Amino acid sequence: MSLNKRNERRLYLRFALILAAVCGLLLTEACGVRSDMQDQPRYDAYEKSDFFSDGRSSRDYPEGTVARGHLEDNKAFFTGKIDNPDPNAQAATSTDANGNTVVASFPNAITEFPLPVTKELIDRGEDRYKIYCMVCHGQFGDGDGMVVRRGFPQPPTYHDDRLRNAPVGHFFDVITNGWGKMNPYGYQVQAADRWAIVAYIRTLQLSRNPDSNLKMTSTANSNTGAPVPAKPEIPAANAATNRGGTR
Amino acid sequence: MAQIFRKSANNIAKISMVTVVLLAGVGFYAWTQLARSSYLTGQYLEIQQPVQFSHKHHVGDDGIDCRYCHQTVETTASAGMPSTQTCMNCHSQLWADAPYLEPIRASFRDNKPIQWNRVHDLPEYVYFNHSIHIAKGVGCSTCHGPVDKMPTVYEENTLQMEWCIQCHREPEKFIRPKSEVFNMAYRPDDTDQATRDQLKVDYKIRSREMLTSCSTCHR
Repeated sequence: MSLNKRNERRLYLRFALILAAVCGLLLTEACGVRSDMQDQPRYDAYEKSDFFSDGRSSRDYPEGTVARGHLEDNKAFFTGKIDNPDPNAQAATSTDANGNTVVASFPNAITEFPLPVTKELIDRGEDRYKIYCMVCHGQFGDGDGMVVRRGFPQPPTYHDDRLRNAPVGHFFDVITNGWGKMNPYGYQVQAADRWAIVAYIRTLQLSRNPDSNLKMTSTANSNTGAPVPAKPEIPAANAATNRGGTR
Repeated sequence: MAQIFRKSANNIAKISMVTVVLLAGVGFYAWTQLARSSYLTGQYLEIQQPVQFSHKHHVGDDGIDCRYCHQTVETTASAGMPSTQTCMNCHSQLWADAPYLEPIRASFRDNKPIQWNRVHDLPEYVYFNHSIHIAKGVGCSTCHGPVDKMPTVYEENTLQMEWCIQCHREPEKFIRPKSEVFNMAYRPDDTDQATRDQLKVDYKIRSREMLTSCSTCHR
Protein backbone atom coordinates (compact mmCIF):
# COMPACT_ATOMS: atom_id res chain seq x y z
CA MET A 1 0.00 0.00 0.00
CA SER A 2 2.66 2.47 0.99
CA LEU A 3 4.59 1.57 -2.15
CA ASN A 4 1.56 2.36 -4.31
CA LYS A 5 1.06 5.66 -2.63
CA ARG A 6 4.71 6.61 -3.12
CA ASN A 7 4.56 5.71 -6.80
CA GLU A 8 1.44 7.75 -7.18
CA ARG A 9 3.01 10.75 -5.50
CA ARG A 10 6.11 10.46 -7.63
CA LEU A 11 3.95 10.49 -10.72
CA TYR A 12 2.11 13.60 -9.57
CA LEU A 13 5.38 15.27 -8.67
CA ARG A 14 6.80 14.56 -12.11
CA PHE A 15 3.67 15.98 -13.68
CA ALA A 16 3.91 19.08 -11.49
CA LEU A 17 7.55 19.54 -12.43
CA ILE A 18 6.79 19.38 -16.14
CA LEU A 19 3.93 21.84 -15.66
CA ALA A 20 6.21 24.21 -13.75
CA ALA A 21 8.84 23.96 -16.48
CA VAL A 22 6.30 24.79 -19.21
CA CYS A 23 4.94 27.71 -17.19
CA GLY A 24 8.47 28.95 -16.52
CA LEU A 25 9.28 28.80 -20.23
CA LEU A 26 6.16 30.76 -21.11
CA LEU A 27 6.94 33.31 -18.44
CA THR A 28 10.52 33.79 -19.65
CA GLU A 29 9.17 34.22 -23.16
CA ALA A 30 6.74 36.85 -21.93
CA CYS A 31 9.31 38.82 -19.95
CA GLY A 32 12.11 38.57 -22.45
CA VAL A 33 10.13 39.87 -25.42
CA ARG A 34 12.48 41.51 -27.87
CA SER A 35 11.55 45.11 -28.58
CA ASP A 36 13.71 45.76 -31.65
CA MET A 37 10.60 46.69 -33.60
CA GLN A 38 9.25 49.03 -30.94
CA ASP A 39 12.55 50.86 -30.58
CA GLN A 40 14.23 50.90 -33.93
CA PRO A 41 17.74 52.24 -34.42
CA ARG A 42 16.56 55.63 -35.68
CA TYR A 43 15.59 58.86 -33.98
CA ASP A 44 12.03 59.82 -33.16
CA ALA A 45 11.36 63.53 -33.23
CA TYR A 46 13.15 65.06 -30.21
CA GLU A 47 14.61 61.70 -29.17
CA LYS A 48 17.76 61.98 -27.08
CA SER A 49 20.96 61.32 -28.96
CA ASP A 50 23.96 59.63 -27.38
CA PHE A 51 26.13 60.59 -30.33
CA PHE A 52 26.03 64.39 -30.24
CA SER A 53 27.55 66.05 -27.21
CA ASP A 54 24.53 68.27 -26.56
CA GLY A 55 22.20 65.27 -26.68
CA ARG A 56 19.98 66.66 -29.44
CA SER A 57 19.05 64.45 -32.36
CA SER A 58 17.45 67.39 -34.22
CA ARG A 59 20.44 69.16 -35.70
CA ASP A 60 20.84 72.74 -36.88
CA TYR A 61 21.87 73.48 -40.43
CA PRO A 62 25.61 74.04 -40.71
CA GLU A 63 26.34 77.74 -40.61
CA GLY A 64 26.15 79.46 -43.96
CA THR A 65 24.01 76.84 -45.68
CA VAL A 66 20.62 77.59 -47.20
CA ALA A 67 17.89 74.99 -47.46
CA ARG A 68 16.36 74.51 -50.89
CA GLY A 69 13.60 77.07 -51.38
CA HIS A 70 14.71 79.11 -48.38
CA LEU A 71 17.08 81.61 -49.93
CA GLU A 72 14.78 84.40 -48.69
CA ASP A 73 16.17 86.94 -51.15
CA ASN A 74 12.92 88.91 -51.26
CA LYS A 75 14.00 91.51 -48.74
CA ALA A 76 10.68 93.29 -48.38
CA PHE A 77 8.85 90.01 -47.80
CA PHE A 78 11.26 88.54 -45.26
CA THR A 79 12.33 91.64 -43.31
CA GLY A 80 9.66 94.28 -43.92
CA LYS A 81 12.44 96.76 -44.72
CA ILE A 82 13.08 98.82 -47.84
CA ASP A 83 15.74 97.71 -50.29
CA ASN A 84 18.51 100.15 -49.46
CA PRO A 85 17.87 101.20 -45.87
CA ASP A 86 19.71 104.26 -44.69
CA PRO A 87 21.91 103.06 -41.80
CA ASN A 88 21.99 106.59 -40.39
CA ALA A 89 18.24 107.10 -40.47
CA GLN A 90 17.07 108.39 -37.10
CA ALA A 91 13.66 107.48 -35.78
CA ALA A 92 11.75 110.26 -34.08
CA THR A 93 11.33 109.45 -30.40
CA SER A 94 9.66 110.96 -27.40
CA THR A 95 9.35 110.04 -23.75
CA ASP A 96 5.99 109.18 -22.27
CA ALA A 97 4.66 109.83 -18.77
CA ASN A 98 6.22 106.62 -17.42
CA GLY A 99 9.65 107.52 -18.70
CA ASN A 100 9.53 104.99 -21.55
CA THR A 101 10.96 105.89 -24.90
CA VAL A 102 8.29 105.92 -27.59
CA VAL A 103 9.35 105.57 -31.20
CA ALA A 104 7.15 107.64 -33.47
CA SER A 105 8.65 107.20 -36.93
CA PHE A 106 9.91 104.14 -38.74
CA PRO A 107 12.20 105.30 -41.55
CA ASN A 108 13.27 102.02 -43.16
CA ALA A 109 10.04 100.04 -42.97
CA ILE A 110 8.08 99.31 -46.14
CA THR A 111 4.69 100.99 -46.35
CA GLU A 112 2.88 98.54 -48.62
CA PHE A 113 2.23 94.81 -48.26
CA PRO A 114 4.66 92.75 -50.35
CA LEU A 115 1.85 90.29 -51.16
CA PRO A 116 -1.76 90.63 -52.27
CA VAL A 117 -4.13 91.42 -49.41
CA THR A 118 -7.10 89.11 -49.80
CA LYS A 119 -9.88 87.95 -47.52
CA GLU A 120 -8.07 84.63 -47.20
CA LEU A 121 -4.95 86.42 -45.99
CA ILE A 122 -6.92 88.38 -43.38
CA ASP A 123 -8.76 85.24 -42.23
CA ARG A 124 -5.48 83.43 -41.89
CA GLY A 125 -4.17 86.43 -39.98
CA GLU A 126 -7.11 86.33 -37.57
CA ASP A 127 -6.47 82.66 -36.95
CA ARG A 128 -2.76 83.19 -36.29
CA TYR A 129 -3.36 86.38 -34.26
CA LYS A 130 -5.59 84.45 -31.90
CA ILE A 131 -2.89 81.82 -31.37
CA TYR A 132 0.24 83.92 -30.95
CA CYS A 133 -0.77 87.54 -30.27
CA MET A 134 -4.08 87.52 -28.43
CA VAL A 135 -2.54 86.19 -25.21
CA CYS A 136 -0.94 89.62 -24.66
CA HIS A 137 -2.44 92.08 -27.15
CA GLY A 138 -6.02 91.02 -26.39
CA GLN A 139 -8.78 89.96 -28.70
CA PHE A 140 -9.18 93.42 -30.25
CA GLY A 141 -5.66 94.76 -29.92
CA ASP A 142 -6.13 96.86 -26.79
CA GLY A 143 -3.19 95.25 -25.03
CA ASP A 144 -5.29 93.59 -22.34
CA GLY A 145 -4.67 89.89 -23.03
CA MET A 146 -4.75 87.24 -20.33
CA VAL A 147 -0.97 87.21 -19.90
CA VAL A 148 -1.04 90.97 -19.33
CA ARG A 149 -3.76 90.52 -16.73
CA ARG A 150 -1.38 88.05 -15.03
CA GLY A 151 1.23 90.76 -14.75
CA PHE A 152 3.14 90.98 -18.02
CA PRO A 153 4.01 94.62 -18.89
CA GLN A 154 1.16 96.02 -20.96
CA PRO A 155 1.84 96.51 -24.67
CA PRO A 156 0.50 99.66 -26.35
CA THR A 157 -2.92 99.56 -27.98
CA TYR A 158 -3.09 99.35 -31.77
CA HIS A 159 -5.81 101.99 -31.68
CA ASP A 160 -3.82 105.17 -31.37
CA ASP A 161 -2.54 107.51 -34.05
CA ARG A 162 1.08 106.50 -33.60
CA LEU A 163 0.45 102.87 -34.56
CA ARG A 164 -2.31 103.72 -37.05
CA ASN A 165 0.29 105.72 -38.94
CA ALA A 166 3.06 103.16 -38.50
CA PRO A 167 3.99 101.45 -41.79
CA VAL A 168 3.15 97.76 -42.23
CA GLY A 169 6.84 96.92 -42.37
CA HIS A 170 7.16 98.08 -38.76
CA PHE A 171 4.60 95.55 -37.50
CA PHE A 172 6.33 92.83 -39.48
CA ASP A 173 9.68 93.81 -38.03
CA VAL A 174 8.31 93.76 -34.48
CA ILE A 175 6.81 90.29 -34.90
CA THR A 176 10.03 89.04 -36.45
CA ASN A 177 12.57 90.57 -34.09
CA GLY A 178 10.65 91.59 -31.01
CA TRP A 179 10.27 95.04 -29.47
CA GLY A 180 10.71 96.16 -25.89
CA LYS A 181 9.59 93.35 -23.60
CA MET A 182 8.20 91.35 -26.52
CA ASN A 183 10.38 88.47 -27.63
CA PRO A 184 10.99 87.74 -31.32
CA TYR A 185 8.32 85.53 -32.87
CA GLY A 186 10.11 85.02 -36.18
CA TYR A 187 11.11 81.49 -35.23
CA GLN A 188 7.55 80.65 -34.19
CA VAL A 189 5.54 82.23 -37.01
CA GLN A 190 6.43 81.84 -40.67
CA ALA A 191 6.98 84.97 -42.77
CA ALA A 192 3.77 84.61 -44.80
CA ASP A 193 1.79 84.17 -41.59
CA ARG A 194 3.44 87.26 -40.12
CA TRP A 195 2.16 89.30 -43.07
CA ALA A 196 -1.26 87.75 -42.56
CA ILE A 197 -1.15 88.90 -38.92
CA VAL A 198 -0.13 92.40 -40.01
CA ALA A 199 -3.11 92.45 -42.38
CA TYR A 200 -5.37 91.44 -39.48
CA ILE A 201 -3.90 94.13 -37.20
CA ARG A 202 -4.69 96.68 -39.93
CA THR A 203 -8.22 95.25 -40.06
CA LEU A 204 -8.57 95.66 -36.28
CA GLN A 205 -7.42 99.26 -36.57
CA LEU A 206 -9.90 99.95 -39.36
CA SER A 207 -12.72 98.42 -37.31
CA ARG A 208 -12.42 101.24 -34.73
CA ASN A 209 -11.61 103.97 -37.19
CA PRO A 210 -13.44 103.23 -40.45
CA ASP A 211 -12.98 106.72 -41.88
CA SER A 212 -9.22 106.71 -41.62
CA ASN A 213 -7.09 106.41 -44.69
CA LEU A 214 -5.27 103.29 -43.54
CA LYS A 215 -4.37 101.66 -46.79
CA MET A 216 -4.29 97.92 -47.35
CA THR A 217 -2.40 98.46 -50.58
CA SER A 218 0.09 95.96 -51.76
CA THR A 219 3.01 96.14 -54.14
CA ALA A 220 2.12 92.63 -55.23
CA ASN A 221 -1.38 93.52 -56.44
CA SER A 222 -0.05 93.85 -59.97
CA ASN A 223 1.21 90.30 -59.69
CA THR A 224 4.92 91.03 -59.68
CA GLY A 225 5.85 87.54 -58.66
CA ALA A 226 6.07 88.06 -54.92
CA PRO A 227 5.40 84.92 -52.89
CA VAL A 228 1.76 84.19 -52.25
CA PRO A 229 1.03 82.29 -49.06
CA ALA A 230 -1.52 79.89 -50.46
CA LYS A 231 -0.32 77.38 -47.91
CA PRO A 232 1.69 77.90 -44.77
CA GLU A 233 5.35 77.41 -45.44
CA ILE A 234 7.02 74.28 -44.28
CA PRO A 235 9.01 75.26 -41.22
CA ALA A 236 12.71 75.48 -41.83
CA ALA A 237 15.24 74.59 -39.24
CA ASN A 238 16.15 77.61 -37.25
CA ALA A 239 19.67 78.25 -36.12
CA ALA A 240 18.73 79.39 -32.62
CA THR A 241 16.11 76.87 -31.67
CA ASN A 242 15.55 73.19 -31.37
CA ARG A 243 12.80 72.44 -33.82
CA GLY A 244 11.73 68.93 -34.69
CA GLY A 245 9.44 67.39 -37.20
CA THR A 246 12.09 65.18 -38.69
CA ARG A 247 9.94 62.13 -38.52
CA MET B 1 1.29 -6.70 -8.92
CA ALA B 2 -0.82 -4.09 -7.20
CA GLN B 3 -2.62 -1.38 -9.13
CA ILE B 4 -0.61 1.83 -9.46
CA PHE B 5 -3.65 4.11 -9.33
CA ARG B 6 -6.37 4.00 -6.76
CA LYS B 7 -9.94 4.22 -7.82
CA SER B 8 -10.11 7.93 -6.97
CA ALA B 9 -7.61 8.66 -9.73
CA ASN B 10 -10.44 8.26 -12.24
CA ASN B 11 -12.25 11.22 -10.78
CA ILE B 12 -9.09 13.25 -10.45
CA ALA B 13 -8.35 12.66 -14.12
CA LYS B 14 -11.82 13.79 -15.19
CA ILE B 15 -11.79 16.83 -12.93
CA SER B 16 -8.33 17.84 -14.04
CA MET B 17 -9.37 17.70 -17.71
CA VAL B 18 -12.19 20.14 -17.04
CA THR B 19 -9.95 22.24 -14.81
CA VAL B 20 -7.27 22.57 -17.50
CA VAL B 21 -9.81 23.85 -20.02
CA LEU B 22 -11.30 26.22 -17.45
CA LEU B 23 -7.88 27.44 -16.34
CA ALA B 24 -6.84 28.02 -19.94
CA GLY B 25 -9.99 30.04 -20.49
CA VAL B 26 -9.53 32.08 -17.32
CA GLY B 27 -5.85 32.52 -18.13
CA PHE B 28 -6.61 33.76 -21.63
CA TYR B 29 -9.21 36.19 -20.30
CA ALA B 30 -6.82 37.41 -17.62
CA TRP B 31 -4.15 37.92 -20.27
CA THR B 32 -6.44 39.98 -22.50
CA GLN B 33 -7.40 42.14 -19.53
CA LEU B 34 -3.80 42.53 -18.41
CA ALA B 35 -2.76 43.55 -21.92
CA ARG B 36 -5.40 46.31 -21.88
CA SER B 37 -4.70 47.41 -18.33
CA SER B 38 -3.07 50.70 -17.54
CA TYR B 39 -0.31 48.64 -15.93
CA LEU B 40 0.88 47.64 -19.39
CA THR B 41 -0.47 50.47 -21.60
CA GLY B 42 0.42 53.35 -19.30
CA GLN B 43 -3.10 54.76 -19.67
CA TYR B 44 -3.99 57.30 -16.95
CA LEU B 45 -0.42 57.16 -15.68
CA GLU B 46 0.74 60.69 -14.87
CA ILE B 47 4.23 61.31 -16.21
CA GLN B 48 6.38 63.58 -14.06
CA GLN B 49 8.46 66.22 -15.82
CA PRO B 50 11.68 68.08 -14.96
CA VAL B 51 9.55 71.25 -14.59
CA GLN B 52 6.12 71.06 -12.97
CA PHE B 53 4.41 72.41 -16.06
CA SER B 54 0.62 72.48 -15.79
CA HIS B 55 -1.52 72.31 -18.92
CA LYS B 56 -4.49 73.03 -16.67
CA HIS B 57 -3.04 76.43 -15.82
CA HIS B 58 -1.73 77.41 -19.26
CA VAL B 59 -4.60 76.06 -21.37
CA GLY B 60 -7.51 75.94 -18.94
CA ASP B 61 -6.91 79.09 -16.89
CA ASP B 62 -4.99 81.28 -19.35
CA GLY B 63 -6.65 80.12 -22.57
CA ILE B 64 -3.42 79.77 -24.54
CA ASP B 65 -3.97 77.96 -27.83
CA CYS B 66 -2.38 74.51 -28.23
CA ARG B 67 -0.45 75.80 -31.23
CA TYR B 68 1.28 78.58 -29.32
CA CYS B 69 3.67 75.88 -28.08
CA HIS B 70 2.96 72.90 -30.34
CA GLN B 71 3.72 74.95 -33.42
CA THR B 72 4.17 72.26 -36.04
CA VAL B 73 1.05 70.22 -35.31
CA GLU B 74 -0.68 71.46 -38.47
CA THR B 75 2.24 70.92 -40.80
CA THR B 76 4.37 67.97 -39.68
CA ALA B 77 4.16 64.50 -38.19
CA SER B 78 5.36 65.69 -34.80
CA ALA B 79 3.17 68.16 -32.93
CA GLY B 80 6.33 69.99 -31.95
CA MET B 81 7.73 70.65 -28.51
CA PRO B 82 8.33 74.29 -27.64
CA SER B 83 11.90 75.45 -27.39
CA THR B 84 12.87 77.08 -24.11
CA GLN B 85 12.59 80.44 -25.87
CA THR B 86 8.83 79.91 -26.10
CA CYS B 87 8.64 79.56 -22.30
CA MET B 88 10.71 82.70 -21.96
CA ASN B 89 8.28 84.72 -24.11
CA CYS B 90 6.26 85.13 -20.92
CA HIS B 91 8.53 83.88 -18.16
CA SER B 92 11.23 86.42 -18.86
CA GLN B 93 8.75 88.72 -17.09
CA LEU B 94 6.27 86.53 -15.21
CA TRP B 95 7.60 84.50 -12.27
CA ALA B 96 11.02 85.48 -13.52
CA ASP B 97 12.53 84.86 -10.07
CA ALA B 98 10.57 81.73 -9.13
CA PRO B 99 12.87 78.90 -7.99
CA TYR B 100 10.29 76.62 -9.57
CA LEU B 101 11.33 77.83 -13.02
CA GLU B 102 15.08 77.61 -12.52
CA PRO B 103 15.39 74.62 -14.91
CA ILE B 104 13.86 76.81 -17.64
CA ARG B 105 16.23 79.68 -17.00
CA ALA B 106 19.20 77.30 -16.76
CA SER B 107 18.22 75.81 -20.11
CA PHE B 108 17.95 79.28 -21.64
CA ARG B 109 21.28 80.44 -20.16
CA ASP B 110 23.27 77.36 -21.10
CA ASN B 111 21.53 76.77 -24.43
CA LYS B 112 20.72 73.22 -23.37
CA PRO B 113 17.33 71.70 -24.16
CA ILE B 114 15.08 70.63 -21.31
CA GLN B 115 14.69 66.86 -21.30
CA TRP B 116 10.94 66.38 -21.17
CA ASN B 117 9.61 62.89 -20.65
CA ARG B 118 7.52 61.51 -23.50
CA VAL B 119 3.95 60.78 -22.48
CA HIS B 120 2.63 59.32 -25.72
CA ASP B 121 5.21 56.84 -26.97
CA LEU B 122 4.04 54.87 -29.97
CA PRO B 123 5.95 51.80 -31.12
CA GLU B 124 8.24 52.83 -33.94
CA TYR B 125 6.57 50.61 -36.52
CA VAL B 126 3.62 53.00 -36.39
CA TYR B 127 4.03 56.10 -38.54
CA PHE B 128 1.61 58.48 -36.89
CA ASN B 129 1.24 61.93 -38.40
CA HIS B 130 -0.43 64.78 -36.49
CA SER B 131 -0.94 67.08 -39.47
CA ILE B 132 -3.21 64.76 -41.46
CA HIS B 133 -5.45 64.15 -38.46
CA ILE B 134 -5.80 67.90 -37.85
CA ALA B 135 -6.52 68.46 -41.55
CA LYS B 136 -9.32 65.88 -41.53
CA GLY B 137 -11.12 67.21 -38.48
CA VAL B 138 -9.84 65.04 -35.64
CA GLY B 139 -9.83 67.20 -32.53
CA CYS B 140 -6.95 67.33 -30.05
CA SER B 141 -9.18 66.17 -27.23
CA THR B 142 -10.52 63.21 -29.22
CA CYS B 143 -7.22 61.44 -28.65
CA HIS B 144 -5.56 63.44 -25.87
CA GLY B 145 -8.59 63.91 -23.63
CA PRO B 146 -9.24 66.96 -21.45
CA VAL B 147 -5.67 68.28 -21.45
CA ASP B 148 -7.00 71.65 -20.27
CA LYS B 149 -7.93 69.93 -17.02
CA MET B 150 -4.69 68.00 -16.55
CA PRO B 151 -2.16 69.47 -14.12
CA THR B 152 0.11 66.57 -15.05
CA VAL B 153 -0.42 65.05 -18.45
CA TYR B 154 -1.33 61.40 -18.82
CA GLU B 155 -2.42 59.19 -21.69
CA GLU B 156 -6.19 59.43 -21.96
CA ASN B 157 -6.31 56.38 -24.24
CA THR B 158 -4.44 53.10 -24.51
CA LEU B 159 -2.86 53.93 -27.90
CA GLN B 160 -3.38 50.28 -28.74
CA MET B 161 -4.20 49.35 -32.30
CA GLU B 162 -7.76 48.35 -31.44
CA TRP B 163 -8.25 51.91 -30.20
CA CYS B 164 -6.80 53.50 -33.36
CA ILE B 165 -8.75 51.24 -35.64
CA GLN B 166 -12.17 51.96 -34.18
CA CYS B 167 -11.89 55.49 -35.58
CA HIS B 168 -10.23 54.37 -38.81
CA ARG B 169 -13.24 52.08 -39.34
CA GLU B 170 -15.86 54.72 -38.61
CA PRO B 171 -14.28 58.18 -38.70
CA GLU B 172 -17.73 59.79 -39.08
CA LYS B 173 -18.38 58.96 -35.43
CA PHE B 174 -15.39 60.93 -34.19
CA ILE B 175 -14.60 63.82 -36.54
CA ARG B 176 -15.68 67.43 -35.93
CA PRO B 177 -15.71 70.65 -37.94
CA LYS B 178 -12.18 71.91 -38.58
CA SER B 179 -13.00 75.13 -36.74
CA GLU B 180 -13.50 73.09 -33.54
CA VAL B 181 -10.34 70.98 -33.74
CA PHE B 182 -8.47 73.02 -31.12
CA ASN B 183 -11.53 73.71 -29.00
CA MET B 184 -11.08 71.92 -25.68
CA ALA B 185 -14.69 72.59 -24.64
CA TYR B 186 -16.10 70.75 -27.66
CA ARG B 187 -18.17 67.65 -26.87
CA PRO B 188 -18.71 64.80 -29.35
CA ASP B 189 -22.48 65.41 -29.56
CA ASP B 190 -22.07 69.10 -30.39
CA THR B 191 -22.33 68.01 -34.01
CA ASP B 192 -25.11 65.67 -35.08
CA GLN B 193 -24.51 62.49 -37.02
CA ALA B 194 -25.85 63.78 -40.34
CA THR B 195 -23.45 66.73 -40.21
CA ARG B 196 -20.55 64.45 -39.38
CA ASP B 197 -21.41 62.18 -42.31
CA GLN B 198 -21.32 65.26 -44.53
CA LEU B 199 -17.99 66.36 -43.01
CA LYS B 200 -16.52 63.00 -43.97
CA VAL B 201 -17.44 63.73 -47.59
CA ASP B 202 -16.37 67.38 -47.46
CA TYR B 203 -12.99 66.61 -45.93
CA LYS B 204 -12.42 63.85 -48.49
CA ILE B 205 -11.77 61.24 -45.81
CA ARG B 206 -10.88 58.02 -47.54
CA SER B 207 -12.80 54.79 -47.56
CA ARG B 208 -12.87 52.34 -44.68
CA GLU B 209 -10.83 49.88 -46.76
CA MET B 210 -8.16 52.50 -47.34
CA LEU B 211 -8.03 53.69 -43.73
CA THR B 212 -7.78 50.17 -42.33
CA SER B 213 -5.19 49.03 -44.84
CA CYS B 214 -2.02 47.89 -43.03
CA SER B 215 0.27 50.21 -44.95
CA THR B 216 -1.74 53.28 -43.97
CA CYS B 217 0.00 53.21 -40.60
CA HIS B 218 2.70 50.55 -40.98
CA ARG B 219 5.28 50.88 -43.72
